[in-house]
Amino acid sequence: MYRHPVFAHPRAATLRAIGFALVWLILVGPDAASWIIGGPFVVAATLASLRLSKPRERNLSVSSLAGFIPYFLVESLRGGLDVAARVLLPRLRVQPGNQEYRVSLRSPEARLVFIDSISLLPGTLSADLRGDLVTVHALDVRTDVVEGLTTLERRVAALFGESLPPASDRTIARTTAGRSPADETSARETPSHPEGRP
Amino acid sequence: MDPVALLSGAFLVVGAFFFIAGTVGLIRLPDRFSRLHALTKADNVGLGFIVLGLMPLVPDLFYGLKLVLVWLLVVIAGATGAHLIAKRALRGDGEDVL
Repeated sequence: MYRHPVFAHPRAATLRAIGFALVWLILVGPDAASWIIGGPFVVAATLASLRLSKPRERNLSVSSLAGFIPYFLVESLRGGLDVAARVLLPRLRVQPGNQEYRVSLRSPEARLVFIDSISLLPGTLSADLRGDLVTVHALDVRTDVVEGLTTLERRVAALFGESLPPASDRTIARTTAGRSPADETSARETPSHPEGRP
Repeated sequence: MDPVALLSGAFLVVGAFFFIAGTVGLIRLPDRFSRLHALTKADNVGLGFIVLGLMPLVPDLFYGLKLVLVWLLVVIAGATGAHLIAKRALRGDGEDVL
């Protein structure tokens, strides 16, 4: 029998609704009239989140989070300084290109944090994720981006309590200098919605 | 001069510097992927410093939390948006691929 996610996971639904209500409260302030708008949106956000991200056991490590935040801030600052230095110099110091990196993280939320963090770290931008292969766009392909990615992946794995295989197993598939959207036409054959609609 | 106001002003100037750097990158960089680099990273750090500079001026804790939340949401939206734009451009299945 099909049960709506709200009834199937009452605890997750309540926790998420409280979370979204807190976000609204912080953004708008303690104004009772604002809930005319906020109330329906909290309900809508909760329903959407239950549909998009199925409730399941997650083990976020708080001690790793305490270590991840300063790491993330320092790397963000380095990323900002790096890109600023590259574009503000009279001679533009870039040599853009793509690299592929095999990601070993399993859970969707760990991958999401990894993918989003790549773009905020120095010199890298996550351009695509297909299966286990992340296409990382590097502002300068002459720099070594793999080391930074490995460190980040290790940090994210610790954050979500995942264990990674030894680093030696993971190699870069290929490096392409410059962008080449044209040679990716085969991608069109891949269905973008593998699960289809119910 | 009030040292707190001075520090706050310095952070705001640093924040503005990163936004300018991001804009210069947007204009000068050669392709859309590289421009995304400039936007995501410079905005993240720029807004971070602006928020940091505004912290001494907040009237209450609630307001400070709001600023941090705004920064967090912008960072998440920026990084996710950049990834989606890059993915679309790389796969070449968008309408606007030159």
